[in-house]
Amino acid sequence: MSRQRTMRDTEYNPLVYFIDGLVTLFNGMVVTWRNLWRPKVTVRYPYQRRPVPPRYRGLFYLKWNEEKQRLNCVGCTLCAQACPTDVISMVKLGKGTHAGVSEFTMDLGRCMFCNLCVEACPFDAIYMGPNYELASERRDASLFRIADLAQGGEEAVRKNIETIERLLAEEEKAKPAHAVHAAGGESE
Amino acid sequence: MVINVGPQHPSTHGVLRLILTLDGEQIVACEPVIGYLHRGLEKMMERRPYRHNIPFTDRLDYLAALSNNLGICQCIERLGGVEVPERAQYIRVLLMELQRIASHLVFLGTFGTDLGATTMFLYAFREREMVLDLLEECTGARLTYNWVRVGGVPDDLPEGFGQKVLDFAKLFRQRIEEYDMLLTRNRIFRSRTQGVGVLPKETALAYGCSGPVARASGIPYDIRKVAPYEVYDRVEFDVPVFEDGDVWARYLVRMEELRQSLRIIEQVLRDMPDGPVQTKLPKIFKPPAGIAYSRVESPRGELSFMMVSDGSPNPVRVHIRAPSFVNLSVLPRLLEGAKVADLVAILGSIDVVLGEIDR
Amino acid sequence: MIEAITQFFKQYPLLWTFVKAVVLASFTLVIPLAVIYVERKIAGFIQSRLGPLHVGPQGAFQTAADALKLLLKEDIVPEGADKRFFYLAPYIAFISTVLCFMVLPFAPGWVALEMNVAVLFIIGVSLFNVVSILMAGWSSNNKYSLLGGLRAVAQLLSYEIPMVLSVLAVVFYTGSLSLTGIIEYQVKHGWNIWHPPIMIAALIYFICALAEINRTPFDLPEAESELVSGFNTEYSGMRFAFFFASEFANNFFITAFAAALFFGGWDGPVLPPIVWTFLKVFVMIFVFMWVRWTPPRLRIDQILRFAWQLLVPISLANLLFAIALGVR
Repeated sequence: MSRQRTMRDTEYNPLVYFIDGLVTLFNGMVVTWRNLWRPKVTVRYPYQRRPVPPRYRGLFYLKWNEEKQRLNCVGCTLCAQACPTDVISMVKLGKGTHAGVSEFTMDLGRCMFCNLCVEACPFDAIYMGPNYELASERRDASLFRIADLAQGGEEAVRKNIETIERLLAEEEKAKPAHAVHAAGGESE
Repeated sequence: MVINVGPQHPSTHGVLRLILTLDGEQIVACEPVIGYLHRGLEKMMERRPYRHNIPFTDRLDYLAALSNNLGICQCIERLGGVEVPERAQYIRVLLMELQRIASHLVFLGTFGTDLGATTMFLYAFREREMVLDLLEECTGARLTYNWVRVGGVPDDLPEGFGQKVLDFAKLFRQRIEEYDMLLTRNRIFRSRTQGVGVLPKETALAYGCSGPVARASGIPYDIRKVAPYEVYDRVEFDVPVFEDGDVWARYLVRMEELRQSLRIIEQVLRDMPDGPVQTKLPKIFKPPAGIAYSRVESPRGELSFMMVSDGSPNPVRVHIRAPSFVNLSVLPRLLEGAKVADLVAILGSIDVVLGEIDR
Repeated sequence: MIEAITQFFKQYPLLWTFVKAVVLASFTLVIPLAVIYVERKIAGFIQSRLGPLHVGPQGAFQTAADALKLLLKEDIVPEGADKRFFYLAPYIAFISTVLCFMVLPFAPGWVALEMNVAVLFIIGVSLFNVVSILMAGWSSNNKYSLLGGLRAVAQLLSYEIPMVLSVLAVVFYTGSLSLTGIIEYQVKHGWNIWHPPIMIAALIYFICALAEINRTPFDLPEAESELVSGFNTEYSGMRFAFFFASEFANNFFITAFAAALFFGGWDGPVLPPIVWTFLKVFVMIFVFMWVRWTPPRLRIDQILRFAWQLLVPISLANLLFAIALGVR
């Protein structure tokens, strides 16, 4: 560690101080003069916007899987468990391999945007997007439902439920045969 | 005359209230009143699993959120005996030093405004904005980063981040020269700070001051050197120590730390190895029963966390030693006999953050 | 045409006086709008910002909009305030500024009241400003205001002395107490600023002017970070607007006064005299603002020490110097 005495000034002398004051004031004015001509850094916000970096932690979205025609979310509640402030609640739809969610609510009035839920998710289902304009005049506007969060909105939610119900029904159809077979096997 | 400075006052840096007893322009006594921002963070932490507590620490010293994140993560790591990959340690040091620059720039700007040099405020914040842009690119947030995890950092640095940091460091060196020309060398500024609010070494020790406040009083105490954590023992940097203990010395310590932080950043970027950035941990993290204490050098001083575990997923007791709180306690001593105009200089030079004091 | 109008009015002296008073008062109210706008733009540019932008082209009407807003605001009088003084203070400040403008020549013949002791009159009248600040600080029933008021009086009175002494140097040098006379002397003999004793006087005047209009190294009376807003903390609405307007009109006046004393007033080639006056004034206002946004502010004891230990002796010695050179 470098131990040193600060640069001290000489004993108070009005004239020396005065001249020094003028000189250093002029030095400072050189700096302000230079900055007078530098490009300005103001971003005129509602008319101009800064680019948002890809990692930006804004409004959440639930990822839409185009291939499977459903949301990636399976309703496992791992994100809800990872949340320090109980922002997330969801209604699970079905169970087993084809499970999904029919409702997914986030109360962003409590959210800290800490990214813990995103890191907890093993299914790539929940992400944070670039939207940062979340202020509202109404209190209930901080409550985001599944249609507000899902990529593709209302349409995606409807398709998601359709797909999952169809898959579940198919599974249900396939199931009795399997169950009978298993039962038969047991009786032998 | 008794005068009430704050909780709403342009230069109390938050909701701090000072009850000043004045004799003309002379301050006779000062009584700080704190607690306007109390949220019971320590108790809140005891009710939640370990990892849920990391985002809460963002709200302690909100100007240096990453330092707080690091403090609590180190504490939990010690409690659970978690190893941190080498690359993660380098990333942590890099982010800490960027954070230190951002935090000291806030000090520089607000200190300038307090003394009447309003332009300094805008310049410092302009450069701070560049640091925030860098941190935003890496962490995704601008103030409450929450980017340190138990056992590492959540993600690697983004593509091309190192080059951007180096570009910034190059530009910022020139800007520090400009600050020197505008403020440090200014006669008026020196008259306002030299010999004002002198904190003798003994008093600083007695009150337990740390960080730039202690170092300006001649106490060579920096956790990064005294008890190196992460990779601070592998980088080369100087810790400025001044003997005088006045506002001027505290200001100079911080200006020098800006330069040293740039040095550390450049070395870290040069030496950073490849590898993983996070250790895998079980979903429900239950450290063995015990007690752990960690300390880091936040921009404001020695920030330490203590956690007690009984083997359950939640800590039994959390204690936070906030540097601002300890440093603020010396304020009444510094203000004795000072002038009203010196109040803002002295308070500004201690550089308190109320979120940390009230927690 | 202007000739015709003045000829017409000169037949009715009372009406002519009234017209001049109205024109001057409105000029004193309008000029701050321009000065404040320029100030905000320059402050913005120096600080890497853009300044006002949205009301009017490049935000030119922003200050007018602000003035309108202040007009419509509620007039708050703090509890326990000394009402008479509280009501009166802003108007006294304003009137003292208007009176100063009264004797200021903008161009040959463009002066509301030709007075052969104009310099003396200005020095006397501008001191009313101090009274109004003390009144405002005292009557607000606010400790910050009181501190601001006390500081202001101590500061303004201390700086008035070297300022008057440096103005006197000009008076002795040119041998005239009338502003028109001083300017005409300069038209004949070249600008005063080129003469060594006046150069020093101009420097001292410049420093004192900064203190007189509460600009940054000397802006203690309203030191925002210490005293919230100083003597005008409790003022709101139109009363605040009057303080604000008088401050910026004063800014304009003090530079115009300096232009007349040191830079030859309306004197200049090619352009008409009135343009020269305004050009000099605005260049000086720019320099004032440039200085304002650069250094931090001094402490009250340092300010007073500076005035009494340095400025007063120097300006006294300089006065002797000027007399010695000036007497012919």
